[in-house]
Amino acid sequence: MNLRNRRLIPSFQRPPSRVLIRRVADYQRDLEVLIGESIMEFRLTIQGKTVLLKPNLVGLDPLGVMNTHPAVISAARTSFLRLGAARVLIGDGPAMDRDTHAILESVRLREFTGKLGADFCDLNLDDVERVILETRASKLKELYLPKTVLGADLLVSMPKLKTHHWAGVTLSLKNMFGIVPGSCYGWPKNILHWAGIDRSILDINAAARPDFAIVDGILGMEGNGPIQGTRKAAGVLLFSDDPVAADATACRIMGLLPEKVAYLARAGTMLGHLDPQKIQQLGETVESVRTPFAVLPEFRRLVEEAVE
Amino acid sequence: MDAGLCAEKCADVLQEKQNSDGGWGYHEETPSRVEPTCWAVSALTAAGECGKRSGAITNARHYLLANQKKEGFWTASPEMKTGNWVTSLVCAVLSQQAGTESPTLAAMEWLCGDYPLDSSPLLRFLRSFSKAKDISQHENTYRGWGWTPRTSSWVEPTAFALLAMQEFDQKRLPSVAARRQKSAVGLLYDRRCPDGGWNCGNPRVYGVAGEALVLPTAWALISLRNLPKHESKSLSLAWLEKQMPKIQSPGSLAVAGMCLETYGKESTQLKSRLHDYGVETLLEDGIHVLAWVCLAMNPGRRWPARIEGRHEPS
Repeated sequence: MNLRNRRLIPSFQRPPSRVLIRRVADYQRDLEVLIGESIMEFRLTIQGKTVLLKPNLVGLDPLGVMNTHPAVISAARTSFLRLGAARVLIGDGPAMDRDTHAILESVRLREFTGKLGADFCDLNLDDVERVILETRASKLKELYLPKTVLGADLLVSMPKLKTHHWAGVTLSLKNMFGIVPGSCYGWPKNILHWAGIDRSILDINAAARPDFAIVDGILGMEGNGPIQGTRKAAGVLLFSDDPVAADATACRIMGLLPEKVAYLARAGTMLGHLDPQKIQQLGETVESVRTPFAVLPEFRRLVEEAVE
Repeated sequence: MDAGLCAEKCADVLQEKQNSDGGWGYHEETPSRVEPTCWAVSALTAAGECGKRSGAITNARHYLLANQKKEGFWTASPEMKTGNWVTSLVCAVLSQQAGTESPTLAAMEWLCGDYPLDSSPLLRFLRSFSKAKDISQHENTYRGWGWTPRTSSWVEPTAFALLAMQEFDQKRLPSVAARRQKSAVGLLYDRRCPDGGWNCGNPRVYGVAGEALVLPTAWALISLRNLPKHESKSLSLAWLEKQMPKIQSPGSLAVAGMCLETYGKESTQLKSRLHDYGVETLLEDGIHVLAWVCLAMNPGRRWPARIEGRHEPS
């Protein structure tokens, strides 16, 4: 069933979520095996499906701290294909720079994946379809969303582990801003800021909830993210069948309180689980990989007192 | 290499990829959209001396006219209901064609009546009490244009609106246009990044200087080409010239090249670098990119402007 035909299930009706934390020191090791094995832990229905990987491609990034690393994207693509996916697409709609080709060159994606051709979709320019926003968290009421996203059987959000100067953190849920097409809403997608970033995140994710999340926290960004922050190594990859649980766990690793991130707190009632009691933790424990991230003064309230 | 020949080939491909409704999608065999149609028809118009393009151009014009909404604007995708930044592009393109006076006037009136909300007196007053005023330290009294109506001013839609006004019959411009243009130019100069060039419109956030990007810089400079010498222009031209060898994508390269040529700074490598991409790569990047390259390759293009004999001193 593709995203068009899904019904939103409120959090209280959802079974417990699972989050797998894997410790990964750098991008040099064999990520294909690690990511493939990690995905298999979740027993997803992949056979014959069209999978859309939605990395976080923000801008020109010579230092490799802003965008999801191409090694992670490529390994995820190979893994889903090996697990039986009929097709694995990679798609994003960068928010600040409409020259997606330049961003792809900057992140060297094709050096890792080989020629992608039609398997890469610039979501900013994709054909669009009207989607009524049932949740009405924001004032948006409707959005025109890419047909490639709505037609995917399995949507995988692949964010970078980063703090964000407007939203607090940018992870699996905030990453979905990238599915909103720039050709319709501009670069940046300013209409979402006017509708309220936190509320827009909820509406977008309710309309196109990721089925799976892979968070690239091997190297992240702290402080004035998502673009002008500072490189921060956390040495982890997170996998989850629930984007809310993935983001909540990522926050805890960053030494931040997910309950105090406005959109995550509400997502915990609508889109998935925030409560650790509803999250089955696999792999490493949060405590063993905790790496406190610096935040802007405006977000001091997010910092866990225990790790201050 | 003869750039004219390559522009001709790009134009042939563009013509071949035109949809039956007269428009072009962002990619071949996708439904027609307004923006790629604007760029494609501009490229064909520039290449269309021999008359073999006239049918395609007429069909494209019909597509654009048929998709104008009764309020005067165009939408990014035909099924959308809210006008946006593409209205400036269509207005600029149709203003160059005879018999479009009425639709372009309606579009221009809509553009002149579309004020971004971020610079409204009420919001500026409210913001003066908010901590948010310290985050982006640009001047909020200037009013340009947003990507979508009643949001915030940004560099590229402001530049496109200025381009539309420049193409429009000056005698028929709405009375408010002069004031809007002055404010928009003020906005562009104010939003320039400290080291030259423009990004989307955030020259400084939380005290950190923003980094310029090629496309916003090129469009801003093209839209400011007729104005007197200004520090922002010379700094940004210098920034763009410095970027040229590093630009890897054909779209940015084509637009940056057109921009520099507009200011009399021809790049000897430009045409051969563009030629090296090949039509397949250009099509992969999109019809608009193929059209930009077609325009950049065409020494006879008229729009986006190439000013003969009026080059700004370095």
